[in-house]
Amino acid sequence: MEAAVSNGRLEVSCGNKIPKSTPCPRPVPGEASGGCSFDGAQITLIPIADAAHLVHGPIACLGNSWESRGSLSSGPELSAYGFTTDLGEQDIIFGGEQKLHESIRYIVSRFAPPAVFVYTTCVTALTGEDIEGVCKAESERLGTPIIPVNSPGFVGSKNLGTRLAGDVLFQQVIGTTEPEQTTSHDVNLIGEYNIAGEMWHIERLMQQTGMSILSRITGDGRFREVGWAHRAKVNMVVCSRALLGLAVQMERKYSIPYFEGSFYGARETSYSLRQMAYLTGDRDVERRVDKLAAREEMRLSLELEPYRKQLKGKRAVLYTGGVKSWSVITALQELGIKVVGVGTNKSTAEDVSRIAARIGDDAEYIPEGGARQILKTVRSRKADMVIAGGRNMYMALKEQVPFVDINQERHKAYAGYDGLLSLAKQLVHTLQHPVWGLAAKLAPWEEETEFAD
Amino acid sequence: MPIKSATKPVSVNPLKVGQPLGGVLALQGMYRSMPLLHGAQGCSAFSKALLTRHFREPIAVQTSALQEMDVIFDADRNLEEALDHIWSKHHPDVIGVISTALTEVAGVDFQSRVKAFKRERALKDSLLFSVSLPDFHGSLETGYSSTVESLMDAVLGLARGKSPKKRRRTQVNLLPASYLTAGDVMEIKDIIASFGLEVISLPDISTSLSGHLLTGFSPLTRGGTPLDSACQMLESSCTIAIGASMERPARRLTHAAGIPYHLFDGLSGLAASDAFIHFLQKISREPAPVRFRWQRENLLDSMLDAHFYYSGASAVVALEPDHMLSTAAWLEEMGVELKRLITPCSTPALLKTEREVWIGDLDDAEESAQGVDLWISNSHGRKGAARAGASFIPAGLPVYDELGAHTSVSVGYRGTMEWVNKVGNVLLAERGKGG
Repeated sequence: MEAAVSNGRLEVSCGNKIPKSTPCPRPVPGEASGGCSFDGAQITLIPIADAAHLVHGPIACLGNSWESRGSLSSGPELSAYGFTTDLGEQDIIFGGEQKLHESIRYIVSRFAPPAVFVYTTCVTALTGEDIEGVCKAESERLGTPIIPVNSPGFVGSKNLGTRLAGDVLFQQVIGTTEPEQTTSHDVNLIGEYNIAGEMWHIERLMQQTGMSILSRITGDGRFREVGWAHRAKVNMVVCSRALLGLAVQMERKYSIPYFEGSFYGARETSYSLRQMAYLTGDRDVERRVDKLAAREEMRLSLELEPYRKQLKGKRAVLYTGGVKSWSVITALQELGIKVVGVGTNKSTAEDVSRIAARIGDDAEYIPEGGARQILKTVRSRKADMVIAGGRNMYMALKEQVPFVDINQERHKAYAGYDGLLSLAKQLVHTLQHPVWGLAAKLAPWEEETEFAD
Repeated sequence: MPIKSATKPVSVNPLKVGQPLGGVLALQGMYRSMPLLHGAQGCSAFSKALLTRHFREPIAVQTSALQEMDVIFDADRNLEEALDHIWSKHHPDVIGVISTALTEVAGVDFQSRVKAFKRERALKDSLLFSVSLPDFHGSLETGYSSTVESLMDAVLGLARGKSPKKRRRTQVNLLPASYLTAGDVMEIKDIIASFGLEVISLPDISTSLSGHLLTGFSPLTRGGTPLDSACQMLESSCTIAIGASMERPARRLTHAAGIPYHLFDGLSGLAASDAFIHFLQKISREPAPVRFRWQRENLLDSMLDAHFYYSGASAVVALEPDHMLSTAAWLEEMGVELKRLITPCSTPALLKTEREVWIGDLDDAEESAQGVDLWISNSHGRKGAARAGASFIPAGLPVYDELGAHTSVSVGYRGTMEWVNKVGNVLLAERGKGG
């Protein structure tokens, strides 16, 4: 089986469109953190809500990971089902291909999904199972696309997996269906996973200006809809540099212009909408975006007023993956928060330059080190809070540092204009919570012993 | 002992998790320890994320971060590098090297590499051990008990066959099963201590994953059984194993140090609690403290108060083997009809039970849950329960959509009462809906 990485692009550093920097450095054994490529591939594809996602390998890969992200669906729930061939020792010794054949047939006959994504894992890659062959045979037999995703965990990082999943979409899904109708204002959102329903909020904003989403790649997406993504007029890459490659490939093949944008913060939201409108080439839409942006920004600034007062001058350490680092900085700055430390462990050189453009030398850059380095920065820079992903949440709480979750496990939507208001509220509520005062106090008996000394 | 299994070729909505997860869990209960998963980065990242979500605590775990070429050429190099790194940076008291499906299938001889590392570095005050936990066998429970067994072996190795000069009559060992929560372990320790006995638990998640604020960040565990306490287990007068999966580590201790063990399949329910208290009374030669009389009365009264709502109720229970058997036991005391008992893998304990048990997944639970009142499983079962129209009771691991699951108590009179009321309230609420 040919590995998906080896089709001539291994030298491309993860997520970067031009191979100018070195490939992702080898993780340090004993000091590594973060997910694997299999994880990244799942993250990208599982939000396609009506497809079945089958993991071919022993139990841990799916058993330990399913239902761990907050991508929401407005309809079908099949992608929330956990499917795995759950290979046992006998399957591994004698081969699991037959089981894979039967599993695919079972899923298709029982659930009739529009497609089945079949994920390779380390073990089935190692034992050399012909997953592509099985998928091809079953596609023909069943008349349903059975799509192999060759991104076993040991080929690299989570980001690489995201990129490989983008390749899978480009090579095997996009261009396979045709939309019922198209308009001149059709936009694809790439790398928007509808965490906590953020995509729905953006969709409403776009609708008000006459623009529509043609394909959602992949938050709340549908398989057929991803298939007709090649008919869009604009691609917006939402905060996911790993899928930038997909946008680049689509531009080359289908001449769809793309841009990178974000919906965190009013400024970024307005910019993204304007950029979209500009690329559709419709002056009317542009004017409508201008009006909407002006109106929303005005409304927002009034509503934010009380929160801004309380957040002004607060200092935060931001530790999040890749692109979000710079986009969230803008949102925080709009609220008057000073970012005094920022994680850059998963950022590209471009991301870092964007971070630098926003905060300059005022902040500490945390290239690696995880929890320990975050805490060190919190202390040295006298930060008031940490904004990061769930992995570091309990570390912060143990140290009684106020914490706001910004990553994929959260249940609050922070995108768009209303999202910024939600973020402001969340920050204020967190910072002013009575628990910090209570936790800082000693137990009465401890205070008394101090007296006695 | 009828064990049945569904005939699907594919697992749909699995109940099973990888064995290494159980190994990581067991090591959280050792003080200043670090589990090292010998596999790809994802193996440890998923374990860490899952346990963090369940316990809402930082989880200590590291990885040898194998990449494709490492697996093909030299996985040992990564292992050594990882051990070196963890060793020189954090000086843990305990390192447990846990294999995964990846390293097992690749056939790397990591265990002799670990031994060589130990020899080369002359590790004296620390414990470095390895355990083979491929994902293609067993589940969380087997991974946990195998790790405790290997840990026990390593502790016995530290003692180098020297048996202690004298036994401490009032000191007992406790080997708690994987399904017992931090709250459960604390409660069991408390019950034993109230008979004037000193207890050493191996492992002890009650002091590491019960939630506490200690300043000073460490990537190592910040609670659990200290290594010297583990060594003192050889001086105890007996071992109490809770859950059939803990019989093997208990037997190790009997064979190596002649310490008798007593096995309790579970401590939930009136009969199980009675047996436990009676046993403690015998070994301590002390009368049962008066509070247990009260707790027993309270439990019986609660059972009577609740029995109206339990009458005629049916349940589907999908949990790891020991947990399932213990839950079935107290549900039977409440007169619940057990529509289907489902567990992810077969264990010797299942062969002994009279109940009909299915080896299966949450999809099998869903199939049998139509018209059933209660569905008891981990959080992954919530959607299936809703589709089947059964009331959902989260239990087991992971439970990520309910606060305090990891500190709730289900053992002894008090814990049983808590659950009789908790589940009773759900049944009562359903009845209120007139359904």
